[in-house]
Amino acid sequence: MASSIQSKTIGGALPSIDARPVTIIRAPSVSPFGLIKNLTELAHYRDLLYTLTVHRIKVRYKQSLLGGAWAVIQPLSMMLIFTLVFSLIARVPSDGAPYALFAYVALLAWNCFSTAIANSTAGLVSHSQLVTKVYFPREILPLTYVLAALFDFLIASSVLAVLMLYYGVPLTLNALYALPIILVLALLATAIALLLSATQARFRDVGVAVPLVLQLWMFATPIIYPLSAVPARFRPLYLFNPMVGVIENFRRVILRCAPPDFNSLGTSAFTAALLLIASYIYFKRVEATMADII
Amino acid sequence: MIDLRFNRVSKKYRIQQHDDGRARLNPLARRLKNLLSRRQDFWALRDVSFEVTRGETLGIIGPNGAGKSTILKLLSRITAPTSGEIVINGRLSAMIEIGSGFHPELTGRENIYLNGSILGMRRREIAEKLDRIIEFAGVAEFIDTPVKHYSSGMYVRLGFSIAAHLNPHILLLDEVLAVGDASFQVKCLQRVSELRQRGTTIVFISHDLAAVERLCDRALLLNHGRIIAMGLPREVIAEYRRIAYGDTPPEQMSAEIDFKPVEIMNLSLYDSQERPTTNFFTGKPFSARVEYVAHERVVDAAFELFCYSHDGAYIHCQFTTAQDGKRITLEPGAGAVEFHCSELGLQPGVYTIGAAVKERAASRNIDWRYGDKMLHVEEGKYVRGSFYLPHDWRIHQSTDARTKQQAIR
Repeated sequence: MASSIQSKTIGGALPSIDARPVTIIRAPSVSPFGLIKNLTELAHYRDLLYTLTVHRIKVRYKQSLLGGAWAVIQPLSMMLIFTLVFSLIARVPSDGAPYALFAYVALLAWNCFSTAIANSTAGLVSHSQLVTKVYFPREILPLTYVLAALFDFLIASSVLAVLMLYYGVPLTLNALYALPIILVLALLATAIALLLSATQARFRDVGVAVPLVLQLWMFATPIIYPLSAVPARFRPLYLFNPMVGVIENFRRVILRCAPPDFNSLGTSAFTAALLLIASYIYFKRVEATMADII
Repeated sequence: MIDLRFNRVSKKYRIQQHDDGRARLNPLARRLKNLLSRRQDFWALRDVSFEVTRGETLGIIGPNGAGKSTILKLLSRITAPTSGEIVINGRLSAMIEIGSGFHPELTGRENIYLNGSILGMRRREIAEKLDRIIEFAGVAEFIDTPVKHYSSGMYVRLGFSIAAHLNPHILLLDEVLAVGDASFQVKCLQRVSELRQRGTTIVFISHDLAAVERLCDRALLLNHGRIIAMGLPREVIAEYRRIAYGDTPPEQMSAEIDFKPVEIMNLSLYDSQERPTTNFFTGKPFSARVEYVAHERVVDAAFELFCYSHDGAYIHCQFTTAQDGKRITLEPGAGAVEFHCSELGLQPGVYTIGAAVKERAASRNIDWRYGDKMLHVEEGKYVRGSFYLPHDWRIHQSTDARTKQQAIR
């Protein structure tokens, strides 16, 4: 039977002669033109990015009973705990909004950010089997974790809608500002994911430190308390954290139906863009010989 | 037209040297020193330059650690060179480590998309070829089952099928041909020759010397990161055998002697019905015929038939004179020597068979043909271990027991 199949043509026609790409491989170096070349190549591999992201989402919930519900359970349970502790026991202010809603909105965005970073840090090392066997732009691996986290964010957003209905908080057109805010969040997450995953390939300490750092970072971001509760003298230092502009503005456009504070959002966006370019260049430099050290 | 060019390519690895702990440092400082200290340099490739023209099949051979895998890794862009330049003219695909991009939790179908896109195929392209990939792999029934439930054979077949449907300009082949059973190896080889015929440039990196000789137009021998021989596969393989096994290179010797008194013209293999074939079975008949032309009278000649395993190891040699002790005198003219074996002792696998003719008095070969013929041995009479012994069994029992046994029958 096998031989009868073999006689049939495999693969179809030969690729056309004119479509021959020329690849030149040299020792790794850093050049400004490299960035554009890298992005073109990434665009060429977009199908792999798509396939791997879908795969990431599918695999995460395969052989689990609750499946996609976990995307909702995580921020929801954190919200319940925080509401219990900080609203009923410690009485933390919440800018007038119901505390549960106040905390959930911020947790929704924060969870997306922290899941993306926590998962992508180990992303390259856990795929060392692939990294040492086949070539593809390696940034695809951390990127898939960021995209999968954004997907979870969408699922968890449905619960936000239910909570808002329950508390009777109206939704205005200003809520559309959430889109650019999430974009800034995604850029920032990508920048940090690239930086950490590439470093993790060499120093495994990164993977151990990341959960701790993320926890500290969460307390340095207005999630369980409002920005207004931060003492004025600490503000300048506090605003160094690019996530402040993201979280505070996200809550502002959703809960207070106000347009974002463009000052703080702009600063966050600028920081994110700079960090992204720097960490992408760094990532590509490490990538060249990553397979040797991973 | 050059499809592939290596221009003075070098690759340096750093071997980490761990502090033995004798230095008086606290543990943290020692770890930091270990991580950052100067490492010993190891040159996996040193100033390697070669070119592969369009449609050519180049074999790269060499002992372990010679730099073969490094070339593979550089070509497939897994890692970057330390210096030098590699130019690849066309779409290059690597058929290496089949199934390494599989995810066990995903179904066969999902893995085709995943693995295909890792190898550089577009989703549209995969969708077009999906049916053919499934059919070729022969896993249609289980295509929507997670691959973790697949048998290892199904796993390999699916992986190979995906790789076989890539349409590269340049194909990079690793030891893929060495995995799987005999029929799978044959299937792999067929697919490779098909690609060759269609003008695909192939770089074949292997320990399988017989396959290199059969498939390649040219071969390159690496040792300690440098090219030490390049040219016709036969010659390069002989050179390799010389450094690896200490064999006497026949080509060099025959080059010394311009005139060969006897030339081996052909070596052919036959089954029990005298039909030419290369497929045999363990414990079943096997015949070989060595055709020669003698240019002058050779007194006391000896013929040899020898056998190599697929990885080039020398496993067996049979002499004509050792068989019957009679002198063979070759008269000028054409002739043939036949070798008959009623029960083949080789276990299933792929072997190469070669032949030589020599003067018994002189230890030198007059003419020698290395691994001229591929020999596929399939399971015939089943035995365990590394070879089969021609045999028959006799059972001796006391008469009482025999009568009892007959009674039972």
